[in-house]
Amino acid sequence: MERKGIVTRFALVSLLVLAVLGVVLPSGARSLVVQIMIFSIFAMGYDICLGYTNQCSLGHSMFFGAGAYGAILSIMSFKLGLIPALGVALVAGFVFAFLLGLICVRLSEAYFVIVTAIISAVFHLLAMDMTWLTGGDDGLSTTIPPVFGLSLYNPYVNYYFVFFFLLVSYLILRRIIGAPLGRIFISIRENPRRAHFLGYNITRYKLIAFVLSGVFGALAGALYTMTMRYASADYFNFYWSVLPIVWCLIGGTGTLAGCWIGVALMSLFQYYVSAWFTHYLLLFGILILIILKVSRRGMLGYFAGRG
Amino acid sequence: MSGSLLEVTGVSMHFGGLTAVDNVTYTIRSGEVRGIIGPNGAGKTTLFNAITGDLKPSSGKVYLKGEDITGLSPDLICQKGMSRTFQLTYVFPEMTVYECVWVGVYSKARRASTMFFSQADRLKDVADKTMELCRLVGLEEKRDELASNLSYGDQKVLEIAMALSTEPALLLLDEPTQGVGPQEADGIVQLIELLSQRMSILLIEHNIDIILRVCHNLTVLSFGRVIADGSCEEIGRNEEVQRIYLGDITCS
Amino acid sequence: MPEWLLNVLFLLMNGLIWGLIIALIALGLSLIFGVMGIVNMAHGDLYMVGAVLAFYLIPLLGSFWLALLVVPLIIAVIAAPIERFILRPYEGHHAVTMIATVGISFILQQAALATYGGIPKKMADPWDVTFNLFGVSYPGYRLLIAGISIVILAAIWLFLYRTSYGVLIRASIQDKNMAAAMGIDVNRVLIGTFVLGSVLAAIGGVLAAPITQVFYLMGADVALLAFIVVIIGGLGSLGGTLVAALSLCAIEGVMSAVLNPTLSKAAIFVVMIVILMIRPRGLFGEAEH
Repeated sequence: MERKGIVTRFALVSLLVLAVLGVVLPSGARSLVVQIMIFSIFAMGYDICLGYTNQCSLGHSMFFGAGAYGAILSIMSFKLGLIPALGVALVAGFVFAFLLGLICVRLSEAYFVIVTAIISAVFHLLAMDMTWLTGGDDGLSTTIPPVFGLSLYNPYVNYYFVFFFLLVSYLILRRIIGAPLGRIFISIRENPRRAHFLGYNITRYKLIAFVLSGVFGALAGALYTMTMRYASADYFNFYWSVLPIVWCLIGGTGTLAGCWIGVALMSLFQYYVSAWFTHYLLLFGILILIILKVSRRGMLGYFAGRG
Repeated sequence: MSGSLLEVTGVSMHFGGLTAVDNVTYTIRSGEVRGIIGPNGAGKTTLFNAITGDLKPSSGKVYLKGEDITGLSPDLICQKGMSRTFQLTYVFPEMTVYECVWVGVYSKARRASTMFFSQADRLKDVADKTMELCRLVGLEEKRDELASNLSYGDQKVLEIAMALSTEPALLLLDEPTQGVGPQEADGIVQLIELLSQRMSILLIEHNIDIILRVCHNLTVLSFGRVIADGSCEEIGRNEEVQRIYLGDITCS
Repeated sequence: MPEWLLNVLFLLMNGLIWGLIIALIALGLSLIFGVMGIVNMAHGDLYMVGAVLAFYLIPLLGSFWLALLVVPLIIAVIAAPIERFILRPYEGHHAVTMIATVGISFILQQAALATYGGIPKKMADPWDVTFNLFGVSYPGYRLLIAGISIVILAAIWLFLYRTSYGVLIRASIQDKNMAAAMGIDVNRVLIGTFVLGSVLAAIGGVLAAPITQVFYLMGADVALLAFIVVIIGGLGSLGGTLVAALSLCAIEGVMSAVLNPTLSKAAIFVVMIVILMIRPRGLFGEAEH
């Protein structure tokens, strides 16, 4: 109860601060914050999967990539406007997550992890291979159409465009978590077998959570593409599947807004460390081990509490 | 209301070469409280699992209210009016008592229109029923405690409340007083007696005194087979049962 | 013999030889999962480290056989502390250990990148002999790999089924709690299994180094294949792993005649999905109890 209150207060304060920061920050820091906000959407979506239904997916890079390409391809090939392109991205994320979920959610924990990882690895290979569609490693870049007459090339518009989606995503997800659905998710996390015997079709609710999570992954992918005006097959990289786990673990799983802390810390870390150290990923690996160590009690208590 | 509520006909469970439940048949009438007794490893819990959808029976049929439910999944069987508790406590550790019961109540009141965006705590009918159940089992005061913080006995009571929350016509209790101190056990037995006036109950229990206090009829299992079936008096007179299991038995 | 048939035959042979290497690696993965419950995301990178070490040590030691002995020893020395100090604290917590192995994977990759460099390198054939098969010359080293792999697989089988330590490992796969209750020193079994599994990956790396490009990311492809093999064969099922490895690599080998490598991987992936739809625990996996 108390913890919930703290997280909510943290979220509201953060949103207020973010609303102000857009105006006062210098441009370099502003674009970093835009990135943090986009990844926060990704992380919140991922938390629905990991933190609320205890599904540790290693396949979320697929949804990020699907959203990114859904957006950029509909802008490039079909000349769609920004909002329709965003719609296409969400549909793409939905379809990918639904199909992947149909295969994966009924698998046992270890199979789920491995199979999601395999599927996203295969899609990464395919994306690298199908250069005619994806541009491969070089990627695709394009000009982004304006939204309601405002150009995203204006950094303020870009900032508040992303901020708007962060706000809406947070409100929607918070509402869902506070709704009966959220409580069903938590009961499944706490003891899937008991929930099953209370009349809930576990597979169906895990699938709902997985798809929900995939759609927000795709939204993040689309926003990232629109901000960078670029997408590449690298968005399907395994690295993008590991990041959300790390974000959620740092910030605390099952808290929705807690992962924002994880995103902010990791983004700052990446921003500053990768500038002076080429083997940034080495430190990333070490960091993962340290995070597991430091948050061990929380983590273990968390995973241990699930029958 | 009369007639059979649950019919178990010729149910067997094989695991590899092992037969855990062997051709078990019995019937529960509406309003009946039936005990299942038998030595450890007689297949009592396996039988529960085979009835409630946890395991698919190797052979045989299970009918609930005349409807064939053999091999259905646990969620469907629960929705059709059969609910159970577990031998080891089986609650939602990081949810409050109120929320644990609430999830079960909502299972019955589930609607697509309220599922996604209504605020869970503002659903008045669900809240009322949840409170009523908490009151019924005596956990009203502790409703905001985390389930994992409850005493073992209270967790057992919470389990019963959760099983009740889906409004079952038939309640299956798997050793509800196991590992509970005598005082708390007495509370649980009183609760079962109260419930027996409202619904049919199938009870696995080791404590013969409790069995005799609440049950009308008994089914005795040994090595997976039914060796006796009848009222408490009949079972008490059955020589095979006395020899195998009971020693002496008198009906109160 | 017509030329196309000969081609198919050679592709099939190449595929089967890869299959034997993959079987070694996947067997390690499967053992680690079966006994420890760990989804080891760093397994492919241990294979990579084995190959990189072979790249340096075969010329340095001047003997392929010596390298085949020394590299696994080095890997054992790396693997033991990983199990003891990084994975052991989270024993039984699958998600946490899995993420820890992801961290180890990044560290191994970057360590290789920093020392070995980012450019794929090809090394000399350690056994420069060719055999004449159906009038076509076939590199003898590949046949040697097949021989070595079969010997090692047989040795593993003997170890698991004929030695008391092997019995402990198999008992732990069946039921860890029971094994502990029977007085088995579970910790010894855990560390032994992790070292054995890692050594198998490293041997795979040494064997594969001369017939592939040695590269700091070479573990990814092999890990992908090994995971698919383990999923299809059934996690923890040793026989299933062997069967799946050989058949998948044979299929992939033959398909590479008509499809590019990515598409033949995708085809194998489709096979995996179909099998998972029918049998969620793989072909030889045990049903949930």
